[in-house]
Amino acid sequence: MTVIDILFRVDEICKKYDKYDPEKQREANAFLDDAFARLYSLVEADIEKALAVRFLFSYPFLFLFSFQTLIFQINYWNKMQKSDKVSTEKNRAAAVALSAEIRRIKARLMEEVPKLQKLAKKKVKGLSKEDHETRFDMVLALPDRIKAIPDGSTAAASESGGWGTSSSNKKIKFDSSEERFGSDFYQQTEESDQFRQEYEMRKMKQDEGLDVISEGLDTLKNIALDMNEEIDRQVPLMDEIETKVDKTTSDIRKNNVRLKKTITQIRSSRNFCIDIILLCIILGIAFYLYNALK
Amino acid sequence: MSGSDPGKLISKADNLTTLSLTRWSADWESATRLYEQAANGFRVSKDYENAKLAFEKASKGREMLSSPWDAAKSMESAAALAKELRNWTEVIDFYRKASELYMQCDRPQFASDSLAKAARAVEDALPSDAIKLYSDACVLLEDDRKEQMALDLYHAVTNIYVKLEKYTDAVAFLLKLGLAADKCNATNSQCKAYLSAVIVYLYAHDLKQAEKCYNDCSQIDAFLRSDQNRFAGKLLSAYKEGDVEEIKRVAQSRSITNLDSVVNIFYHLHCCFWTCMCLSYNNVKDSIIKLARKLPTGDVAAFKTNAAIGEGEALDENDLK
Repeated sequence: MTVIDILFRVDEICKKYDKYDPEKQREANAFLDDAFARLYSLVEADIEKALAVRFLFSYPFLFLFSFQTLIFQINYWNKMQKSDKVSTEKNRAAAVALSAEIRRIKARLMEEVPKLQKLAKKKVKGLSKEDHETRFDMVLALPDRIKAIPDGSTAAASESGGWGTSSSNKKIKFDSSEERFGSDFYQQTEESDQFRQEYEMRKMKQDEGLDVISEGLDTLKNIALDMNEEIDRQVPLMDEIETKVDKTTSDIRKNNVRLKKTITQIRSSRNFCIDIILLCIILGIAFYLYNALK
Repeated sequence: MSGSDPGKLISKADNLTTLSLTRWSADWESATRLYEQAANGFRVSKDYENAKLAFEKASKGREMLSSPWDAAKSMESAAALAKELRNWTEVIDFYRKASELYMQCDRPQFASDSLAKAARAVEDALPSDAIKLYSDACVLLEDDRKEQMALDLYHAVTNIYVKLEKYTDAVAFLLKLGLAADKCNATNSQCKAYLSAVIVYLYAHDLKQAEKCYNDCSQIDAFLRSDQNRFAGKLLSAYKEGDVEEIKRVAQSRSITNLDSVVNIFYHLHCCFWTCMCLSYNNVKDSIIKLARKLPTGDVAAFKTNAAIGEGEALDENDLK
């Protein structure tokens, strides 16, 4: 079982048996009567969460408080391990998304503040006067705390490089002559300069490669056209050769047939018998002469 | 037989052929056979003079025996031996005779072939004769409607003319080449021929003629659509502007190196204002590429001023009013 699995299971079990947790019950019971305290604790929790998430992106390996954020951190760390570049990209997009989320939370919390103020003014049983005043102060401090949550709209956002962040202006301005952008607004950073140079180099190399290819293709085209012409030149010669060879083969065939006929005629059985008979006669005559002379 | 002295064979053959009181008719058959044997014997022993004579006689014998084909073959052998002996006039005579005999056999290709061989042999020594031989060979082929074979011969003639620096004649032949190529649909050769013509004119400092030639050739569809056309256009416009660098750059392009084996060039400027530069020296085989690489010759600036005058006055704003 992995750590994450263990954590999840523990979390689930805790949630399940939350009702048996005496401390939590006491808190819940306590807050039942006190609407202000309940709401305030919720607001606090939200602020903490927003800060934790914000922290997470600035300092990914920071140890955090709750199990949820811890799990979130572990998951996040796993993802970060996969590929730094991609995660930086994702980080930026995710950072932007989270910043938007945080801003939304902040806006919601700001809405809650007047409610809290009203509740703080109400008198609650079992609460001393000092507690009452501290509550009021806490409520007053809340808006500042909410505003202090960084949400990526300031120049402190580390991922945005040197682009001279355009602040999240509530009003869109054209020809902002009043606002002087920093002197380094139009400056190319090292990064973008390098990128541009690399791009130019690659383009040049590609151009050179393409030139070489085009020269090769030109040569090939020329060779192909010349070959074409040469073959066209050879075609009528081949045709002539073909007719001549055809004629010669037919002549040879004819001659072969005649030769065969002649040979069979010579070797025919009739002639053969005649030859043998004549041979015998000659031998007979020779024998007779031999006997006569002996 | 082969062991016997070729000299003896010759004398024996001569005896057979000379008429005398005892001999009323010459025995050409055996004489020819003997002559051929003797000739082979002489050739093996590298006695080219006697071999040549023997072949001549053998050829005559064959003629008498009414076999012009064999006669022509013997004549060609005789001519080849004459070439070894560097006897150019004899070479020409023998090859001409051989071609006549081939024509008797009704084989114009072989006839033109032997004329071409003759021309190739005497190219260096007697270029004008070579040209004549080549043209005759081309005529023979064209009569037989075998223009494709003639293309090589035209290339050869152009080469000789360029060597002799007779550029107008060279161009004339290039255009004839183009015509022959057109007849047999060899568009690549045709376009190359026209491009070569333009280059030769430019080399001869004759921009007007070059332009005229270019305009004439542009009438032909095949040329109009070709790469060579674009290249020629670029070259001419570079000349008109008098831009030496542009000319050099354009002349360096692939179109020139691909201009057939006829046209290999190495590049140097030779005019009064610019210094010589050898840029590339690939496989120098023949002349026209040499020429193209030598461009621009002459006073390019002069062309520029002439062109400027020719264009007339500049447009005046007031004309619009």
